[in-house]
Amino acid sequence: MSVDLATRLIDVLGALLLFSTLLILAAGQLFRAIYAVAVQSVFLAIAGAVLGAATGNPDLWIIAGITIVVKAVLLPWLLIWVVRRIQIPREIESVIPINATLGLAAGIVVLAFRLNASLGPVRQAITGNALPVGIAVILLGVLVMASRRKALVQMVGLFAMENGIFFTAMAVSQGMPLIIEVGVILDVVLGALVMGILVLRVRSSVDTDIADLESLRG
Amino acid sequence: MDVPKPLLRGAVWLGHLLILGGASAGATLALRVLIGGTGTLYLTLPRLFPFAQMSLSVDGLSAFFLLVVTLVTAAAALYGPSYLGAHAKAPLVQTFALGVFVACMAGVCCAGDGLTFLLAWEGMTLASYVLVVSDTRSDENTRAGLLYLVMAHAGTAALLVVFLTLAERGHGFDFDALRTAAHSLQGPTRTALFMLALVGFGAKAGVVPLHVWLPKAHPAAPSHASALMSGVMLKVALYGIFRFGFDILAPTDGPVPASWGWTVLVLGTVSAVIGVLLALQQHDLKRLLAFHSVENVGIILIGAGLAMLLTRGRGAEPLATLALAASLLHTLNHAAFKGLLFLGAGSVISRTGVRNMEELGGLARRMPWTTWLFLLGAVAISALPPLNGFVSEWMTFQALLLGVGKLGGASGLLAGVAASMLALTGGLAAACFAKAFGVTFLGRPRSIHAEQATESPAPMIAGMLLLGGACVALGLVPGYAMRLLDGPTQELLGGLGPSAVVSARGPLVLSGTAATSGLAATSISVTAVATLLALLAAVAWALRGWPRRAPRRLAPTWTCGMLPSSRFDYTATAFAKPLRLIFAAVYRPRRAIAKETGPSPYVIRRLGYTGEVVDLAETVLYTRLKRWVTATAQGIRAYSTGRIHGYIAFVLVTLVVALLFFART
Repeated sequence: MSVDLATRLIDVLGALLLFSTLLILAAGQLFRAIYAVAVQSVFLAIAGAVLGAATGNPDLWIIAGITIVVKAVLLPWLLIWVVRRIQIPREIESVIPINATLGLAAGIVVLAFRLNASLGPVRQAITGNALPVGIAVILLGVLVMASRRKALVQMVGLFAMENGIFFTAMAVSQGMPLIIEVGVILDVVLGALVMGILVLRVRSSVDTDIADLESLRG
Repeated sequence: MDVPKPLLRGAVWLGHLLILGGASAGATLALRVLIGGTGTLYLTLPRLFPFAQMSLSVDGLSAFFLLVVTLVTAAAALYGPSYLGAHAKAPLVQTFALGVFVACMAGVCCAGDGLTFLLAWEGMTLASYVLVVSDTRSDENTRAGLLYLVMAHAGTAALLVVFLTLAERGHGFDFDALRTAAHSLQGPTRTALFMLALVGFGAKAGVVPLHVWLPKAHPAAPSHASALMSGVMLKVALYGIFRFGFDILAPTDGPVPASWGWTVLVLGTVSAVIGVLLALQQHDLKRLLAFHSVENVGIILIGAGLAMLLTRGRGAEPLATLALAASLLHTLNHAAFKGLLFLGAGSVISRTGVRNMEELGGLARRMPWTTWLFLLGAVAISALPPLNGFVSEWMTFQALLLGVGKLGGASGLLAGVAASMLALTGGLAAACFAKAFGVTFLGRPRSIHAEQATESPAPMIAGMLLLGGACVALGLVPGYAMRLLDGPTQELLGGLGPSAVVSARGPLVLSGTAATSGLAATSISVTAVATLLALLAAVAWALRGWPRRAPRRLAPTWTCGMLPSSRFDYTATAFAKPLRLIFAAVYRPRRAIAKETGPSPYVIRRLGYTGEVVDLAETVLYTRLKRWVTATAQGIRAYSTGRIHGYIAFVLVTLVVALLFFART
C-alpha cells in the first residue's frame, strides 16, 4: 500500500472516529451509545490494519485483531448483558443537557485542531492529521464520563477515551510496543468486569443505583 | 500474648544483652578510631539499590558520636530488662524496637553515603515512634506520637531536598560525591541548602521553635528509651548539623558564611533560655527533663555557632577549636547526665507509679541509691564543679568571652549577649534542679505511692552507676576527654587539636600554657576544686560529731499548734512562683481558683487551684498554623462533592488547561 493512500485512508478513518464519538455524546439511549462505541472500535481496528499494511509492522495487525475481538465485540456485549440483567431505564440521564454537551464538544474539537498547529514537530508522514483527532477523542471521552450520570455510560466514555489514546499512540509513534498495548487492553477489560460486577452486586443486594453512592461521602 | 512469663523475661533479657554486646563492640571501635589512630574505617555494604552503592565510613566525628550513642545505650541495656519487667505492656515489642532504634542511630553516625544516612534516619524515627506509643496507651500519647511523626517527617522532607540536590549535582550518594557537588555551589545556594539542613536536623534536635513535639514525645516512652531519645537521638541530629555545617557544605577556601554562625548562635541562645524557662514550670518529672534537653541542645549550638563565626577556613584559629571542642564535649557530657537523670526518673516512676512530683517527696530515705545518683546528675546538669557539666559549659563560656574581643562589631556583641544568656541559663537550671530534687526526694511523702516506695533492683542501679561514673570521670579528668576530641575537631577545622589548645596535663581544663595559640584564658583545675570540696565535706562530717552544749532533742517543727502534715512542705508550684512572676511576659501564666462555699461565704468547703503556663511557640506559631490549615482544608472540602462526574470534570478541565498551557510555548 502506498504511503499516499495510507495517509488518505487514515484521514478518513479519523473523521469517522470523531463522528462516532460525537454519536456517543448525542445518544439519548443506552444501547445506542454502546453500539456507537462498538462501531468506533471497528474504525480503530481498521486504522490499525491500514497502518500495519503501510509500515509492515506485524504488531499493528495483532493489535487490530485484539481490538476487534475485545473492544468491538466482547466489551459491548458485556455491557448489553449487564443492562438486560439489571433492568434499568434505558434512557441516558445527563448532568449537562445533551445540546449543551455537543456545544462543549465542538469547542473541544476546535481546541484540539488549534493545538495541532503548535504540536507541529510530532507530525508524521503517514498519519498527518491523526494527532488532533486522537486528542479530541480522548477529551470527548472524558467529557462523556463527566456529563453522564449512569455508571454504564461512564464506562462507555472510558472505552472511547481508551480508543482515543490508542489512536494517538498510532499517530505519534506508529503504535506502542505490543506488550504495553496488550496490558492496556487487559486493564480496560478488568475495569469493565469490576464495574459490571459492582453494578450488579449493588443492585441485587441494596437495590439502589450506583450513582446514589455519592451520598456516602464523609 | 500467651508466652509463659519466665520465657518472656528471658527473651527480654537476651535482647537487652545483645544490645549491650553491640554497644560494647561499637564503643571499642569508636575508641580505636579516636585514640588508636587507625584512620578512617570504610566498609562497603551489599548493593541493595541499582543506583547507589551503600557504605559505612567511620572517621573521627562519626566515631565520637558513635561513642556517645554506645555509652548511653550500654547503660540503658543494663537498666532496661528490670524496668520493662516491672510494668511494661509489650516488653518484647519494646525490646525489639529498642534494638532497631539503637542500631539505626549508630547507622546514622557511621553512614558513608546519603542513602544509608536517610534509611537509618527514617528507621530511627519509626522505631522511636513505636517506643513512644507503646508504653502507655492513652489518647495523649497517641497524639504525642502523631505530632512527633509529623514533625520528624517534615524535617526529613527538608533533608531529602538537600541530599537530592547534592546527589543530583555530584552524580552519586556517597559523601565524597556530595562534597564535590558542594564545592561548585554558589554562595546563596549553599546558604539555602544549609538552612534547609538546619531546619531538618533542628526539627529532630528540638531547636526552638521546632521543639514542641519533644516534651510531649520523650516522656511517653519507657524511661530507658526516653534516656536514649533525649540523651542520644538529639545528638544524632546534631551530628547532622556538624557534618553538614563544617564538613559537607562548608566552603573549602575561605570562612563559613557569617549568616550560618549567626543563625546557629541565635537559635542556640534562644533554645537554651526558652528551654530552661519552660522546664522550670513543669511538675512532671520526665517532662521537666525533656525541656532541659532543649536547653542543652541550645548550649551545644551556642558552641557550634561560635566556632562557625570564628573559623577562617582551613587553618589554625585556636579559639574556634576551643568553641567546637566545648560544643562536642557538652554533647558527650549531656548524653551522660541526661541519660542518668532519665534513668533516675524512671526508677522513681517504676517504684511509685507517679510522674507528678507534687505527689512524690520523701524518697531520699526510701530509695537512697536512686536519690544519690539523681543528685549527681542534677549537680552535673546544673554546671557545678567538679562534675562534667561544669567543664563543658565553662569552656563554652570562656570561648564566648574571648570571642567578644576577637570578633568585635556586631558578632562580638552577639557573642556577649549569648554569654550573658548562658550565665542566666546556668543559674535557672540550678534553680530548676533544686526544685526537682528537693520536691521529689526531700521532705515528707505527699502520697501513699511515695510512702510505700522501695529501692529499685540492682540492674537498674547498675545502669545508672555506669552513667554516674562517666559524669564523675569526665568531670575530674577532662584532659583525657580532650584527646578524644582531637580527631573530630581537626577533621572539621584543621589546625591544632583541643588537647594542644586546652592544656591536657591530666586534670587541667584550660590554661595559659597554650601561649603558642595566643589564648589568654583563665585556668582552673577541676581536680583541685574537687579535692577542696572533698576536704570541706570531710571537715563538715568531722564537725558533725562536735560536742554540743545543750542535749540534743528531736521534736516536730512548731506549726502554730496544728498537726504538721506533708501538705506544709514547699510544693513545686510554690517553689517556681517567683520566677513565674518575673518572667510573666514569657509564661503568660493563667490560674483559676475554684471556691465552693457553704451557707455563709466565710465557710469554704472546697478550694481548687489550677494554674498553667503556655509555651509561646506553641500558642503563637503552631495554633495559628493549625487554624490556617484547617480553614484551607474546609475550603477545599466545599469542592469535594462526592459526585464522580464532578471529579471527572476536574480532570477534564485540568487536561484542557494543561494542553493550553504547554502548547502555548
